[in-house]
Amino acid sequence: MIAYTLRRLLQMIPLLFFVSLAIYTLVALQPGDPLEGLIFQNPHLTQEDIAKLKAAYGLDQPIHIRYFKWLGRALQGDLGLSRTYAQPAAQFIYGRMQNTLLLTGLSFLLALAVAIPVGVFSAVRQYSIADYVVTFFSFVGYSTPVFWLGIMLMLLFAVWLPERLGRFEPIFPAGGFVSPGMSPDTVGWWAYLKDRAWYLVLPVFTLSVLSMAGWTRFTRSSMLEVLQQDYIRTARSKGLAERVVIYKHALRNALIPIVTLVGLAIPGLFSGAVITETIFSWPGMGRALFDSLLEKDYNVAMAALVFLAFLTALFNLLADLAYAVVDPRIRYN
Amino acid sequence: MLGDAWAFVSSAAIASEIENFLWAGLEYIDIDGNDQPYLATEVPTTENGRVKVTDLGEGKKRIDIHYTLRDDIFWSDGVPITSADVAFFYEVGKYPGAPVQDPSYWNRVKLSVQDDRNFTVSFEPAYFYDLVGSAIGIAPAHVMKGEWEKTKAEIAKLDPEKDAAKITELFQGFVSKFATPNALNKGSMVYSGPFVLKKWVPGSSLEMVRNPKFFITPPGGADKYVQKVTYRFIGDTNALLVAILGGGIDATSSVALTFDQARAPQLVRRAEGRFDIWAVPGVIWEHAEVNKFGNVQEVKDLMLDNPKTRQAILYAMNRQGLVDAFFDGLQPVADTWVHFADPNANPNVKKYPYDPEKAKQLLAELGWKDLDGDGYLERKTDDGRTVKFEIEYVTTAGNRIRERTQVFFQNDLKKVGIKVKINNAPSSVVFSNDFFSKAYDGSWKGLFEFAWLFGIVDDAGVFTCKDYITGETYVPTPENNYSGVNFGWCNEEFDQLRAKAMIEFDAAKRKQYWQKMQEIWAEELPALPFYWRSNPLVVKKGLVNFVSSTYFGSFGYPTTNAWLIGWAENGAQQVFDQAKYGISALEQ
Repeated sequence: MIAYTLRRLLQMIPLLFFVSLAIYTLVALQPGDPLEGLIFQNPHLTQEDIAKLKAAYGLDQPIHIRYFKWLGRALQGDLGLSRTYAQPAAQFIYGRMQNTLLLTGLSFLLALAVAIPVGVFSAVRQYSIADYVVTFFSFVGYSTPVFWLGIMLMLLFAVWLPERLGRFEPIFPAGGFVSPGMSPDTVGWWAYLKDRAWYLVLPVFTLSVLSMAGWTRFTRSSMLEVLQQDYIRTARSKGLAERVVIYKHALRNALIPIVTLVGLAIPGLFSGAVITETIFSWPGMGRALFDSLLEKDYNVAMAALVFLAFLTALFNLLADLAYAVVDPRIRYN
Repeated sequence: MLGDAWAFVSSAAIASEIENFLWAGLEYIDIDGNDQPYLATEVPTTENGRVKVTDLGEGKKRIDIHYTLRDDIFWSDGVPITSADVAFFYEVGKYPGAPVQDPSYWNRVKLSVQDDRNFTVSFEPAYFYDLVGSAIGIAPAHVMKGEWEKTKAEIAKLDPEKDAAKITELFQGFVSKFATPNALNKGSMVYSGPFVLKKWVPGSSLEMVRNPKFFITPPGGADKYVQKVTYRFIGDTNALLVAILGGGIDATSSVALTFDQARAPQLVRRAEGRFDIWAVPGVIWEHAEVNKFGNVQEVKDLMLDNPKTRQAILYAMNRQGLVDAFFDGLQPVADTWVHFADPNANPNVKKYPYDPEKAKQLLAELGWKDLDGDGYLERKTDDGRTVKFEIEYVTTAGNRIRERTQVFFQNDLKKVGIKVKINNAPSSVVFSNDFFSKAYDGSWKGLFEFAWLFGIVDDAGVFTCKDYITGETYVPTPENNYSGVNFGWCNEEFDQLRAKAMIEFDAAKRKQYWQKMQEIWAEELPALPFYWRSNPLVVKKGLVNFVSSTYFGSFGYPTTNAWLIGWAENGAQQVFDQAKYGISALEQ
């Protein structure tokens, strides 16, 4: 097992090298460079000025030289400076990652907390009215575009309902992630956390709806499959209580494919959710990545993408190792 | 990033708007587009003897601008603002290897300091716009100097030729010690404007409170005006609309809602008694460039290098109909590249009202006829080919207004027998060097719709063929490595007039040159002017002096006189009337 893990870790080195090379090349091959906007807006720039600017920003070098320079510094822990935000790219990504994990982590937990019990409930009562209701809402949730849902929830809780109730204060705010002026130093921790939670409700709910609906459907079908197995019939014929049959015998087995699915979703938690973050003005990774590509802020884009590639490789390895833990028949050597 | 006085890292419109709250310059452009003194005692002019013009011969001049700083100005930490702060700004920007974004300015500027309050800024060669706004910037020497000395020592170890990129990073690292959110939140910076920064949460909000050291007292006392300003950054404009409706926003920034959203029924319906919605004519000029390079086959076939063809196309475009249909007439039709609010605008230039008959007549004179009866025009070329009037029309894909404009004009042009072939791509593609600048090689072959931003100091460089002062050519061809943005229009008279206007420091004389240039331009139509974009501004009732005009603070920033912003109910006096500078979208 240790040898296997070490081998996989070593394999990640060439993998990350090629991934970073591919990303760098793709980012650099985008039409235009960071200086084009500047050159475009300033007709006074002479050829000499442009050449100097290109040299100043290192854009006079061919892509492969730029890549190896970037790689050399990245290996020493220097991911460069963000051109847009004027701070070290790694520091910028770290700040955004924290915001993103709060949002995606909570919506992940919410989706799991709802999807598994509801999926089990729906499977156990197959073809009942409750099952139809769950199925109906799962399909609605699965097919609702996030950008539409987000805006509608904001309109409902920040405009329509307060108007009906004759108040100006929104029930939940229309975007943002903390009220201006709120910090633990000024209002105390409790008020600060309450304020943060108030801002989290709508984006967390919006973001969780899709996975909640998907995982509910998946849990339901996985449970239905397991419930038809011989060992469930055996458990029932042994006279075990229905609760024990469902939760101990059926659910544990039904969870194996769900664990795989959920495990694969974990790297996505770090990449953020560009649409939800944009709608709710949430300064997270999704927006950072999207904006950095639009702004041609190469250092941020590279830092973010390579970091995500690393996480994906790492979680794939962890998922593979987890199989061995979950299923004793799997052994790595 | 805020407070990057030299723009070593970036410069964005929203940063400039916020910086108006935090930093004061030597002068500012007032709501009517005139220079006003700010940190300086008066605006230097030739009349008051503060501007000296020297003729250097060969069409070049030098100016010396003498400034005196007020004696009651302080940084927010109480340290007086002096000539040393100007000298510091100059030293850093002028330092070899500084990654300045406007080398033309830094190559021409010189500073000499007489004493703590007096200094002279010189330009050689000088241009008329050197007298518009502040001639030089300012940065707090007592705060930044120490770090600068360390940076200089690092730069000294490097070779400016070989290590240009490394030097750039050192400069960027230097400003980032003071200008990043972390640095600013720690109080690393001091301010000269009416407000100081309190807290900046990147991507979320930025809070500012009044600067007690600021030297201007608004009428009735500063305590009657807003004490705290919070910017909320909302990336999605639909979400911003909801936030306004939800009452969480008192006013929108100059770069906030789209024009359509400001007129959204949901907002307009709820505005009564709560908000004012204004459309303020801005300096963004929506137009179509025309490829006029006769060496491109399509250009030659369609005779786009002939002004008559361009005139016919413009007559065939119902621009007033377009702005009425799409913008309720709130975005004014443009006649030339000079804004009608510009003091140099010539209202008597040739105009091109919608006249399809006139367009047909001009096209017929050029030999166009519908030969095959398909509704589109054809003509026989000199080499015996039959060509159809089918013109390419490029714009930025995904920009809904432009895409709708294209279809509108496609329909108009069809009525006079011109077929429009739409060819759009994302802005990063169409504005890339290989596409945008290579019209000479036929990368685009007909019309290209986009916008230029012509501030109060526009120098007509976009339409200049030859610059008689520098000798540069602004027509992008292989000879000049495709630099410049004039797509094949060379008019010697226009260029000569511009060369004179550029070094004319007498406003009345310059106006004469400028007006003649507009006459030539309108006759020749090197580009097709569509309309001036208006900026929508949503302001809560009772909030006074948060106003915009075409040239306020150069580009229409409503924060230019930030010390006057206040609530009428708290006793703030209204100094500016937005109705004078914009049109209410609610009354349309």
